[in-house]
Amino acid sequence: MRFAYLIVVILFCQGLYIILTKSNLIKMIMGFSIAESALIMLLVLIGYREGGTVPIIYRDFSTVVDPIPQALALTAIVIGASITAVMLAFTIKIHKKYGTIDLNEIKELRNQ
Amino acid sequence: MDLLIFLIILPLFTAFALGVINYFFESFVFPIIIGSSLVHLFLTIRVASLAFGSPIGYYLGGWDSSIGIALLMDPLAAVMSILISSLFFLAVIYSIKYIKDYILKYYILLFLLLTGTMGMVMTGDIFNLYVFFEITSIASYSLAAIKKEDGGVEGPFRYLMIGSFSGLFLLLGIIVIYFSLGTLNMAQIALGFGSLDSFIQVSILALMTIGFGTKFALVPLHTWLPDSYPKAPAPFNLLSSGIVVKSFIYALIRIIYTLFGIDLLKEIGFSAILVYWGVLTFIIGHTLAYQQDNIKKLLGYSTIAHIGYITVGFGILSHKGIVGALYHLINHGIMKGALFLTLGIFIYYFNTHKIEDLKSLGYILPMSGVFFVIASLSMVGLPPFNGFISKWLIIEGAIESGYILAAFMIPIGSYISLTYYLKIFRMLYSKPEDGMKAKRVDWRLNTPALILTMCCVLLGILPQFPLHLLEKVPSFLLNSQKYITVFLGGS
Repeated sequence: MRFAYLIVVILFCQGLYIILTKSNLIKMIMGFSIAESALIMLLVLIGYREGGTVPIIYRDFSTVVDPIPQALALTAIVIGASITAVMLAFTIKIHKKYGTIDLNEIKELRNQ
Repeated sequence: MDLLIFLIILPLFTAFALGVINYFFESFVFPIIIGSSLVHLFLTIRVASLAFGSPIGYYLGGWDSSIGIALLMDPLAAVMSILISSLFFLAVIYSIKYIKDYILKYYILLFLLLTGTMGMVMTGDIFNLYVFFEITSIASYSLAAIKKEDGGVEGPFRYLMIGSFSGLFLLLGIIVIYFSLGTLNMAQIALGFGSLDSFIQVSILALMTIGFGTKFALVPLHTWLPDSYPKAPAPFNLLSSGIVVKSFIYALIRIIYTLFGIDLLKEIGFSAILVYWGVLTFIIGHTLAYQQDNIKKLLGYSTIAHIGYITVGFGILSHKGIVGALYHLINHGIMKGALFLTLGIFIYYFNTHKIEDLKSLGYILPMSGVFFVIASLSMVGLPPFNGFISKWLIIEGAIESGYILAAFMIPIGSYISLTYYLKIFRMLYSKPEDGMKAKRVDWRLNTPALILTMCCVLLGILPQFPLHLLEKVPSFLLNSQKYITVFLGGS
């Protein structure tokens, strides 16, 4: 289990690193998505119970996984998808205006 | 009290109905937009007037308090929702004349913005708060970039990038809360919060402050705000600095006051951090505003500065501080609204973006010039206007609680702001060239600006009426136990 949390931390930091260092807009969006998926993994992880079954309380069951984080994860996925969509739409607009999606080139074009 | 949910449902339903209505009965679109925002305003005033008497709690779908999603309106939420609803109505009236392209998309996004902010103000469930947080954010990213020609997308894109990353921090904070307490209901979190490990408490505080602080532009996290303003339509500028930013402050204040409680906040020294962070924010905001020559950017930096004042007021953690901060929050919405709407009139008729473009417009559009002067003088905080009262209250609160340095810096910040407004006045009333005649302004543009300017004067001359209402707010913030009982007893 510890190992899974470690993966979450690595993914989140990786996403943050990509956003901070890359100049390509698409790569920045990817970085955001990676960091977001790390949090969704974390949500699913904290709801996990060792040996738990599907959270349907019916007939014989001993332990079930916590259903609330799963619902939250779904919501978070939807929100993340819509944000990614808005980001991509903006990227298309920027590409139409400047013909490039590299931040440094855009900066040069603006200074001219 | 079922009316509470209608405050969220009505704008949400209007937003999605507009597309259908536009397809089948195109001439009904504007009546429905105005009607819906007017009904929303009346509903809000009705509910809020009840909430000033006794706070209203409501559980969606009648589920009990352990699993249900809660809505709650206490006096603080009531004040915020009246501010939001009335500024929104004025912005809609103004937009009818001002907005020319992407009309339908613009109004749909506008109503989504209203949904998000109202939800954020009223919700008592912390994950719901995150959902409304993102609805508000997505609507405002898109509204900031909505202009058709010479659309500046880089500023809004930066806003989008920074904003969505701050959303991740908020989500992380919420996950930590759920992980350690196993509940999302704010009252239940507050009940169990004291028993948590202090490391977890402080990390939740840090995550929340970064998440919301980015959204309301605390200083090192503020860079998106001035960049996203210049190309955005003026009514959205009004909504952004009057409603959106304010509802994020509200959410942070609600969370830290309710979850942590006054004693804990003082113990970990967050009170002093907030106060000096606020001081840093308004000093830097004012100095940066002084250097701008794009007026919307200048007003954006000035918004950041006033966020600083509000943060100082809430950071004092005393009765007077909260009243002053809340009054300043309302006043800033009104003054900044008047400024942006007047600037919008200048832009609409003369396409002015730089300070030097405003040359002698005070003679050509005399009424708008007067609005601009009154609103900016009250931004500075000169006595007959409303900005003076709230700044005075914040200073008094700061001195009472022993933050002498903060109290001393507030007038200094005001002096800096006076310098840059004087720069604009000089341009506005420099001598006109020959052949320039006074111009009539369309009433739909003029009335909202007039109403907001009148409010600037009225709230300054007669502050006792709003302050009488605001006096009821701090008891719920300062004593989180009171809030919790409303919550758990309100089902």
